[in-house]
Amino acid sequence: MNGSDHNATAPWDIVVELKGVSKTFRQRQRSAHLKDVARNLFRPVIREVRALQNITLTIRRGEIVAYAGPNGAGKSTTVKMLSAMLAPDVGTVRVLGYDPVRQREAYVNRIGVVFGQRTELWWDHPVAASFEWKRVVWDIPTERYERMVGVVKELLGIGEFFNSLARELSLGQRMRADLALALLHEPEILFLDEPTLGLDVLAKRNVLQFVKDLNRQHRVTVMLTSHDMSDLEQLAERIVMIDKGRLAFDGDFDRLRREFADRRHLFIETTADRYPELTGARWIESVGCRHEYQFDATHVNLVTLLEQAATQTTILDVETHRAPIDDVIADIYEHWQK
Amino acid sequence: MAARYMRRLFALWCMYAWLDLMWVTRSFQSFVLYFCGETIVAIAALSSTLLLAERFNGLGPWSKPQLIFMLGYAALVFGLLDMFFGFNVLFIGRRLGRGQFDHTLVQPQPIWLALLTDGFNPFGASGPFLTGIILISWANSFLLLTPTLMWLFLFVLNVVSSVSVVLSVSFFWGSLAFFAPRAAEEINTPLLRMFDHLKLFPLDGLSAGMVSGLLTAVPVGFIAWYPCRALLGLDSAWHAPYLTPLAALGFGLLASKLFIQGMRHYERIGSQRYRAMGHRG
Amino acid sequence: MRLLLTRLRQYRLIAALEATSLVGEDSLFIIQFIFRFLRVVVLLSLWRVILTGRGPTDGLTLEALLTYTLIQEVFSDQLIPRTDIEWALHDGGITMRFLQPLGLVSQFTAQMVGRWAFGFVFFSLPLLLAAPLLGVNPLPANLASGGLFLLSLTLTIAVGVALEFIFAALLSYLEGSAYIVSRVRTAITLLFSGAVVPLALMPWGLGEIFRWLPFASMASAPLQIYIGVGDPLLLLATQAAWSVGLWWLARWLWEVSRERLVAYGG
Repeated sequence: MNGSDHNATAPWDIVVELKGVSKTFRQRQRSAHLKDVARNLFRPVIREVRALQNITLTIRRGEIVAYAGPNGAGKSTTVKMLSAMLAPDVGTVRVLGYDPVRQREAYVNRIGVVFGQRTELWWDHPVAASFEWKRVVWDIPTERYERMVGVVKELLGIGEFFNSLARELSLGQRMRADLALALLHEPEILFLDEPTLGLDVLAKRNVLQFVKDLNRQHRVTVMLTSHDMSDLEQLAERIVMIDKGRLAFDGDFDRLRREFADRRHLFIETTADRYPELTGARWIESVGCRHEYQFDATHVNLVTLLEQAATQTTILDVETHRAPIDDVIADIYEHWQK
Repeated sequence: MAARYMRRLFALWCMYAWLDLMWVTRSFQSFVLYFCGETIVAIAALSSTLLLAERFNGLGPWSKPQLIFMLGYAALVFGLLDMFFGFNVLFIGRRLGRGQFDHTLVQPQPIWLALLTDGFNPFGASGPFLTGIILISWANSFLLLTPTLMWLFLFVLNVVSSVSVVLSVSFFWGSLAFFAPRAAEEINTPLLRMFDHLKLFPLDGLSAGMVSGLLTAVPVGFIAWYPCRALLGLDSAWHAPYLTPLAALGFGLLASKLFIQGMRHYERIGSQRYRAMGHRG
Repeated sequence: MRLLLTRLRQYRLIAALEATSLVGEDSLFIIQFIFRFLRVVVLLSLWRVILTGRGPTDGLTLEALLTYTLIQEVFSDQLIPRTDIEWALHDGGITMRFLQPLGLVSQFTAQMVGRWAFGFVFFSLPLLLAAPLLGVNPLPANLASGGLFLLSLTLTIAVGVALEFIFAALLSYLEGSAYIVSRVRTAITLLFSGAVVPLALMPWGLGEIFRWLPFASMASAPLQIYIGVGDPLLLLATQAAWSVGLWWLARWLWEVSRERLVAYGG
């Protein structure tokens, strides 16, 4: 995959730039009662939803950026703006130097978009037919098209169901086919909105590996949203978190842990069933003489905990792990809700 | 630029025709069902008027052959609409109301080109079109028209204009779905049902006010009645063959204006709904 | 009794949800009813043009025909009842219906009734009230006709819903063709039911043939009863016979096709 057909831009330049972007939606609220029909119709209750508030964000070429946040935070709204479907109320959006909405036709030729909950496949046609459709509509030169079909067939393993009807594919197969479709025209940037939704462990791993290879070998910039934090941590160097429309964090996963909580799990094997009481650590469970605790390493020193344990029992073995990123994120979301 | 768009248009039509052919011929059962089904639908729709014409030996000033010509013309118009604007392009309110417009926006081509091509299904929807051709030919065996080149030109011009009138009015009302997706999702259905039903009747004998309304606010008269009056010489005014094309232009401009306004609104608001029903299948 | 009340509550909720699903966003939905109203106005005018100067045609006077047309529009949803079952099969939603602790027929019927309620309030009632302004007598031929019409309407709904389920069962054998089958069915029903053109006005004695088909039991029978044309007892008996026969057929088809239906619709 190469960008030789496109306008040349410097390798480390900024490819995505949002400046002071805000977006507000108005939602009609209505009750579920028949008696409220007239009121719902003539005097509706309108709720203003500030989907995005003053978002300023840049992404450089070749980055993989995880874009995360609780439900309703504004992730999909951001992706829609970057996909030329929506314009901001305030602020500017520039991707590869384009205004996505105003310069849509030329712009969408250089990006790929995959929505986990929607498909671009023709439902009642084989996958091959959807690929052919893409070739014609995107006006992809034959040589390039055939090369890319070979690439995606091999990397995403879609050869086995290439001639199957889209409606008969499993969710994992459909996602792979949608991803392959999005890549046929060799986009420079890929926007993936929940690309691993509903996929099993193996399918997820394959998709994520594919995205990593794509980025490494072809320098495709990737921005993806997902609720699966462990996937995001594997894939992305950078995580941008959004909460109630505002940017809450922008950095790497290590800094995320340090800033919000460096949660660790401590396992102590002792000579007794009874677990030692440790100030600064929360006991989770004991299995025989092996006791598990959780503590925040930014506030509590491991040595202090071990010293406390040593005064109460004989320690046979010690083990520490970082808390899974999902737990960290869940704590963050909970903290934001308060 | 124009040549480039013409080439793209042709290439896209060929591609969609190929998709349609694959769909219709996926099995023998499917082929028979679609071809015969659409023909049955067209004939059933026209039968009411044909049976009335047989019962009353014509309707108003229209003889039976003239009525058959008019019904054939109407079938041709709706046949072309089905062939070129399938997959809910004609029922644009559904596409907009169901949040499916985003699928059009991600394509690297002008919206007009996408809408002009991605509803093209010349094989699956050929029934009404062919029914129209057959009825017109049958009518002509009684009418014994000897079409000149000019008459043929006017015939084609009026058919295309009638198609444009229906499409424009459909887009005009369907554009409301930009602003009220749920309420206006099915706005095209009763509108087109009204057109489909009323196109079958000659409007002679109705009050002047009603005829005016049926040529302006609800332009059913331009689908078949008025253009056929002009083509069959029932209206000898010199401007008669040109009124339908003029109407098409006017309705087209109105529809474009509202549609573009709707698109500007959509850019700001987007769609909070998504329903895949009817999208590419 | 308790079970009956529970069921009624459940169906009422389903119907209410369907009825209110259009309401609450915008009043633009009214436009579709305006289109329907305009269509009726033009149709009535067309009948006047066609039949003015002609005497009664097979017992049908102009006045009776106008009433026929008006009442057909007022009760159009009930005369040709349509549920969502075909689409539920087409898009796979049917499998979720099997997970609900309610019969399939009752679920779809409750939803259909909810949709009717909405159309009745915003279209049928206003049309009925506007009838005198349109120069149409909306009243039945006599009180007995009115009463028998209601009975006939109930049988019409029974016949219509049975046909819905029969066609749905057949759809599982015509995979991927829900759209075209639905279109053909609608077109044929409109023609043979006398909804568009009363069967009495058809040439070559076609009306006499069509009146024995199940479609005539849908629109033609109740409308004839309403305007006092034809033998009401014979019409009712024909409807009842079709109702029994079609429900037996629907039940049998669903029994033999159940697995296929779930696989097709899932």
